[in-house]
Amino acid sequence: MADRPSSSFFPYKYETYDLPNGLRAILIPMEGSGLVAYYTIVRTGSRDEVEPGRSGFAHFFEHMMFRGTKRYPADVYDRMVTEMGADANAYTTDDYTCYYLVVSRENLERVMDLESDRFQNLSYDEISFKTEAGAVYGEYRKSRVNPWAVLYEAMLNTAFDKHTYKHTTIGFEEDIKNMPTGYEYSLSFFKRFYRPDNVVLLIVGDLDVEATKKLIDRYYGNWEKGYVPPRIPREPKQRGERVKEVSYRGKTLPIVAVAYKGDAFDPDNRMVAAAYILGNLAFGQTSDIYKKLVIREQKVQFIQGDFGFHRDPKLLTIFTMVKKDEDIPYVRQEIDRTIDRFKTELVDVDRLEREKKHTRYSFLMGLDTPDNVASRLARFVALTADLDAIERLHENISRLTPEDIRAAAQRYFVKAHRTVIILKGEK
Amino acid sequence: MSRIFQIFIFFAIVGLMLGAGCTSKKGSENMVLLPVKDDPTISFRILFKVGSQNDPEGKEGLAALTAALITNGATQKHSYEEILDLLYPMAAYIGYQVDKEMTVIYGRVHRDNLEDYYALLKEVIFEPAFDEKDFERVKSNLLNYVQRTLRYADDEELGKEVLYEYIFQGTPYEHLEEGHVKSLQSITLADVKQFYQTYYTRDNVLIGIGGGYEEAFPARVKADFDRLPAGKPAPVPPPDPPPFDGLHVRIVEKPASATAISFGYPISITRGSREFYALALATSWLGEHRNSSSHLYQVIREKRGLNYGDYAYIEHFPNGGRRQFPPTNVARRQQIFQIWIRPVPNDARLFAFRAALRELQKLVDNGLSEEEFQLTRKFLKNYILHFAPTTMMKLGYAMDDVFYGIKGHHLEIFRKMMDELTRDEVNAAIRKYFQYKNIKAVFVTNNAEALKQALVNNSPSPIQYPTPKPPEILEEDKEIATYPLSVRPENVEIVPIDQVFEN
Repeated sequence: MADRPSSSFFPYKYETYDLPNGLRAILIPMEGSGLVAYYTIVRTGSRDEVEPGRSGFAHFFEHMMFRGTKRYPADVYDRMVTEMGADANAYTTDDYTCYYLVVSRENLERVMDLESDRFQNLSYDEISFKTEAGAVYGEYRKSRVNPWAVLYEAMLNTAFDKHTYKHTTIGFEEDIKNMPTGYEYSLSFFKRFYRPDNVVLLIVGDLDVEATKKLIDRYYGNWEKGYVPPRIPREPKQRGERVKEVSYRGKTLPIVAVAYKGDAFDPDNRMVAAAYILGNLAFGQTSDIYKKLVIREQKVQFIQGDFGFHRDPKLLTIFTMVKKDEDIPYVRQEIDRTIDRFKTELVDVDRLEREKKHTRYSFLMGLDTPDNVASRLARFVALTADLDAIERLHENISRLTPEDIRAAAQRYFVKAHRTVIILKGEK
Repeated sequence: MSRIFQIFIFFAIVGLMLGAGCTSKKGSENMVLLPVKDDPTISFRILFKVGSQNDPEGKEGLAALTAALITNGATQKHSYEEILDLLYPMAAYIGYQVDKEMTVIYGRVHRDNLEDYYALLKEVIFEPAFDEKDFERVKSNLLNYVQRTLRYADDEELGKEVLYEYIFQGTPYEHLEEGHVKSLQSITLADVKQFYQTYYTRDNVLIGIGGGYEEAFPARVKADFDRLPAGKPAPVPPPDPPPFDGLHVRIVEKPASATAISFGYPISITRGSREFYALALATSWLGEHRNSSSHLYQVIREKRGLNYGDYAYIEHFPNGGRRQFPPTNVARRQQIFQIWIRPVPNDARLFAFRAALRELQKLVDNGLSEEEFQLTRKFLKNYILHFAPTTMMKLGYAMDDVFYGIKGHHLEIFRKMMDELTRDEVNAAIRKYFQYKNIKAVFVTNNAEALKQALVNNSPSPIQYPTPKPPEILEEDKEIATYPLSVRPENVEIVPIDQVFEN
């Protein structure tokens, strides 16, 4: 247990509280709002779907978590959440699944009672399991009309051979169709992954830390540990560029995605911090290529880098939407030129400092309500189970030099590790 | 009272009333201020009383294009590239939002950077450069949104926008805010300049500032905005929707593998009155936005697994797929009641529509039970607390209070009403404002002719589930599948997707 003072970067004091069963709670008091954001972060996502035919199951299981327990059946749970007027929902990502309720402070204990109960005692029958599969298929259908969903699925499927990042979080359509047959599997999924040693509670808002710790002891103390980490296949080193063209059933401007293999998130790895900054420097709104292709030449509608953080090595991706088919080779060439420049030249020190300032203010300005604080921190907490990671990452960012940025460009922008997806719509 | 509402909101507004029929006092103060001492940021919402309803005929989309250009283009002092460079280290932005009645230019900045940011915000609003290349870029973005994104990439939003055009046919509210393909193509830079000169005036602005600014700051802002040119644009006639009888259907035909459905009709009530809050309670029970407490959600998704969710509204709620709580500054003089059925398998489209219409009828016929009333009352009283957690949102609500001419604050009144309203009042409001006979419905789907035939012939629409269902559900399904629909053939239109938003 550690009482952290307010640091220069993260503006709130917080406390990390560990139970003997492995459950970790991170408590961040924010006085005055009257609200508490209660996030339960299960460190399991579509990354953990190792069995064939089970893509999308972590997300599906998230839906099942709303199907009740013997003590609080689904209708009772719904009713209690409704009575509290909670902002309650859940989402699943590649690396984690997050359940949240934002409630008035006086409801904190009631939320803890409800949440600790369903995470320990979830119980549902096969009929409701099968009905929920229909809702998941509906969710797939609603997003399928979007070209980005088609692009993203193709990109992961092409870039990865063995690792579970090969599939998206919603999963392959065939596996979604097949979900109703997975009742028994779902029970084992719950037993293996929904364990205290794989869960972090992130509680932010108008709360009394000592009283909250006592509640955590009472409601979660008896939860049995027993997390069984899945054996996630290692992705073999990519040995050659992969290029794929995919078609979209609808009209869209062509979209080009250029993705390079990255590293797993590690707040202490200088190259990880440098890659994050590199994405914005090279392809963000103030980058040279943005100004050239978006503003001056107007060849593309936008361009951006998505160099985010993941538990295992994933992708550093540049996305752009090109206005005319015939300009695609030119746009790709401009992306290559940008990459070559960052690999060979040193970025201007002022530009790097502006980037750091942007990162700092953008983070700080997002921390204005308990819910916003929790949602901003959720991924970091999921990746490391440790809020200190943020502090260390930003310390690392603040020390980055132009040489680090160039080193990151040389490390990651390797042609043999590249996947290019070109999506085109109907004429 | 919760602390969330204890922040002292004071209004320095006396003049410009944006509500219909209200007149503004020329030269009087036109500000909404929301000081929050502990907030390290400052939020701006600069609202001009101009929206898509002011678009000239044949130039639909002009209000949107004007706002987009001034917030995404050069000023007389800085190129757009330079503006991006200046905003970037502050992690600040200057955004815009255009609805039927109003345009808002908004942004938020850390107080460390207030001076630099405010200087840029002023430039953007007072000294746009109207650069030809910026104009081409912004116009092409809007065209792409209408021609491709809205038509193809988001059937749910498409269905809702088509419903608005269908209900407000022939009124200033009819067209999509972003305009149509042909009208957007016809807009010139001269049109934009003219529009800006007419509507971006000191007599047509409401300035909203919130957060941790210094006490003297608003007076400075006021003095700056007083230097905008004078000009009081003529009011736009009321958007009275044409009356209609029976069930009318517009089918947008496209190669869709699932069907998005929206339906509704105009309602003659807006926020502020007691009846409005009674109706808001009933609407929340029937279909609180993206909430499992929604009755329609329970019937269509939870029990039958037909889709991802089903909701109801009495106020405009754009981009519902991407937000949990209602946006601000989309206030309108005329609202519609609306039900949103998220995409269902094509073979369940008529069944899902019938199921929703039948639930609406049950609500109109039976009202809310005491238990339903009590639960929804409790729910909303707390749920409303999530509507405006940030200074920016509070500011937006305060500005909407001005539009609706509300004395006090909408969300506070909403909460108070949850203690005061009786079930009889709620059920009386349901009987007065809800109905299920005169409805306009939009389906975004394939094989439109088959749907038309099924509708006009009132064909039963039984469904098969891929998974077992309890007997009571199957029994109720028989009633849903034959729920009577009375649609005259002349009241069904089929519109191919590439004609939607075209002319």
